[in-house]
Amino acid sequence: MPTVLNTPSDEKTGTVTSKPVIVIEHLYKQFGRNVVLEDFSLTVYKEENVVVLGKSGAGKSVLIKCVIGLLKPDKGNIMVLGENVTALNDDDLDRVRSKVGFLFQANALYDSMTVRENLEFPLRRHWINISQKEVEKMVKEALENVALLHTLDMMPSELSGGMLKRIALARTLILKPEIILYDEPTTGLDPVTAREIDQLILKLQKKYHTSSIIISHDMNCVKNIADRVILLLDGKCYADGSYDELEHSTDQKIKQFFE
Amino acid sequence: MAKQGENNIKLGLFVLAGLLVLMVAFYMIGKNRNIFGSDFELKARFSSLNGLMEGNNVLFSGIQAGTVKSIEMVNDTTIEVTLQIDSKVKSFIHKNALAAIGTEGLMGNKVVNIQPVKAASFSVSNGDMLTAQKLISTEEMLQTLSKTNNNIASISEALKATVLRLDSSAIFDILNDKTIGPSLKSSLGNINKASKNASDMTMGLNELVTQIKQGKGAAGLLLTDTAFAGNLKQAITKLKSASDNANKLTLQANMIMTSVNHDMNDGHGTLHALLKDSLIARKISISLDNVMKGTDGFNQNMEALKHNFFFKGYFKDLEKKKQANKALPVQ
Amino acid sequence: MSLITNTEDFLEQTGKISRFAGHFFSHGIKPRFEIKELLSQCYLIGYKSFPLVGLTGFIMGLVLTMQLRPSLVSYGVQSELPVMVGIAIVREIGPVITALIFAGKIGSSIGAELGSMKVTEQIDAMEVSGTNPYKYLVATRVVATTLMLPILTLLGDAISLFGAYIGVNISSVTSLRFFFTQVFQSLTYSDIVPAVIKTLFFGFAVGIIGCYKGFNSTKGTQGVGISANSAVVLSSVLIFIIDLLTVQLTNLIGLN
Repeated sequence: MPTVLNTPSDEKTGTVTSKPVIVIEHLYKQFGRNVVLEDFSLTVYKEENVVVLGKSGAGKSVLIKCVIGLLKPDKGNIMVLGENVTALNDDDLDRVRSKVGFLFQANALYDSMTVRENLEFPLRRHWINISQKEVEKMVKEALENVALLHTLDMMPSELSGGMLKRIALARTLILKPEIILYDEPTTGLDPVTAREIDQLILKLQKKYHTSSIIISHDMNCVKNIADRVILLLDGKCYADGSYDELEHSTDQKIKQFFE
Repeated sequence: MAKQGENNIKLGLFVLAGLLVLMVAFYMIGKNRNIFGSDFELKARFSSLNGLMEGNNVLFSGIQAGTVKSIEMVNDTTIEVTLQIDSKVKSFIHKNALAAIGTEGLMGNKVVNIQPVKAASFSVSNGDMLTAQKLISTEEMLQTLSKTNNNIASISEALKATVLRLDSSAIFDILNDKTIGPSLKSSLGNINKASKNASDMTMGLNELVTQIKQGKGAAGLLLTDTAFAGNLKQAITKLKSASDNANKLTLQANMIMTSVNHDMNDGHGTLHALLKDSLIARKISISLDNVMKGTDGFNQNMEALKHNFFFKGYFKDLEKKKQANKALPVQ
Repeated sequence: MSLITNTEDFLEQTGKISRFAGHFFSHGIKPRFEIKELLSQCYLIGYKSFPLVGLTGFIMGLVLTMQLRPSLVSYGVQSELPVMVGIAIVREIGPVITALIFAGKIGSSIGAELGSMKVTEQIDAMEVSGTNPYKYLVATRVVATTLMLPILTLLGDAISLFGAYIGVNISSVTSLRFFFTQVFQSLTYSDIVPAVIKTLFFGFAVGIIGCYKGFNSTKGTQGVGISANSAVVLSSVLIFIIDLLTVQLTNLIGLN
């Protein structure tokens, strides 16, 4: 087993290095005649927050779904923590996925389960032999992280949008992943709640030393979180740089996003 | 977690209830089909099964005793049926019991009925062959019944017509007259005789004509003799007058009858008066006597003529007329 | 032109459903088994449908008896009413009515549930959480419908026959014991066994169609509604087609 695939509990000692955790090379993906990704390449380094900007339908969600293996690219390689997710079988893919968190745009909390069951689900699924006591402890810790411990036995339908987003974040973080993929984390929230979510992401990022790809339209969010910003345009990586660099770019197409 | 366990208990109950229903259903059917009890086999051979099938019931003295296990063609007229019988009734079925194919209700399923016979015999043992009773199928029964019905219908139709005629017939009243009865009877007898004679003669004459046509025998020669022809003519004339007399008498009788009839139909009530009047009754009686006499005479003529085959052609027509006329008074 | 596209759509649908069902056999019933989810689905699909099936079964038995009675009376064979009702319920009406009620309740709920899970990315979330959604969601539901419908049908038949008993007793008097003796006298294994086996297929059809429609739900609440609706329609039609096939098949192998 590659050394990068440590169990999450060993993660604490990680320091900022230039070790790449996600390497995307020459990725192609099309749906019917609609070309979404065309020769897209990206490398994400450890403890780095990369924000992917792009118009709606530009293929941002497709990109991160390919990273986690929900979609199979037509061509190209995706190395996640040293393993090629495009060529893994189901069991190995699950092993990689246990180290990658994914925060869905619509939260994707299971309607039929309580908050507790929602949080337990990935734990019991990925770590089959985990004890009941450990599960309890981790669920509580995850909810404390998002300050929603009192919702433990509530159903998702009883909670507000901001709370749901925070619980979804807690569920994403419960496995203490090395990489987190955020699909528009602040979309649909009021600006105050959106800032809270931003702060939460940053706080947890520092706490667990994770690397992230964040998809967003929200420039405040981008400004707060981004270490690096990627502009996805026509299926390609159009621009790559810090927030400041891109904000002051003279390129017309880049400027559109910062107005 | 507790809820989950509770749900599983409910689910378990639900599944068990379903399986229980299935088991009960199987058991109930099996009980009817003798699958779970001990049993033995009997055989019977039939010429026709009338739709008996495997699994049909076997009744012993009307009690459910088993089912038909298998059916096998032995040859073109024999079918062997194997019966699966409950052991409980084994000691009651004797070797001389009769097996017959019957029907549950009028049009229900076919069954095999095993009927005990009074004569003493041993109890059956496994695989014994029972004597088969010739079966009467519903269809056959219905067919016979239908024929019988038709017959009865035509008989009753005829009977009805007779009764109606008898009822409306004037003769019914006349027949009540004791004196008229016997005379009428005898005259009828005479008429009968006469017609018989006539028929005999016709036959004889017929034969003769054939011979004459062929120009054979004495008749051929005689017919050429003119003298003889004259005699013959005379004889025929005499005969004619005799039969004319008879004819007249018959007409007379006829007239009386018609008048009686007429009175009756008119409902004048004169009929009763007439009939009660002994004089008139006697008159009728006399005229009937005359009829009798006339026919008697005629009969004698005929008897004579029977032996004289030359008058055939003429006589035939005459006889026909007479018979027709004489028949009238009887009506 | 529209006929051609309709035909193409129809064939494409049929092919996709076949593939989906094939996937059930090639992937769905392999380890690891989701026993816990299966049990909870059995509980929801089977136990929770029981009151509805029981009620409709009872009414069906009662009404059928009352409806059949006048025509039997006109033939003078009203004493055969239990036999006739028994055969009708066990062979045909019990399985088909139960399956249709089942399709209405369970087919639509599976279609809507999986549809909304698909639309709100819950299915993706499940996959990310190390769970094969096909096994966890589809296989469990299909197995549950396949196993639960026969049980529901058997219980529904029993309740239906009880309804028929009451129906018989409305206008004449029969003991429960004699009623059931009469019913079972005319029944054979070849009446019950094919009836039970065909409900397995009915259940499978309801489950697989519900799951297929849910899994292929298009975006939005409208898509979920369409999934639920078409799941019911299609599985109801399939129930009748399977019913027809079963009758022909049992005739063919001489079980009738």
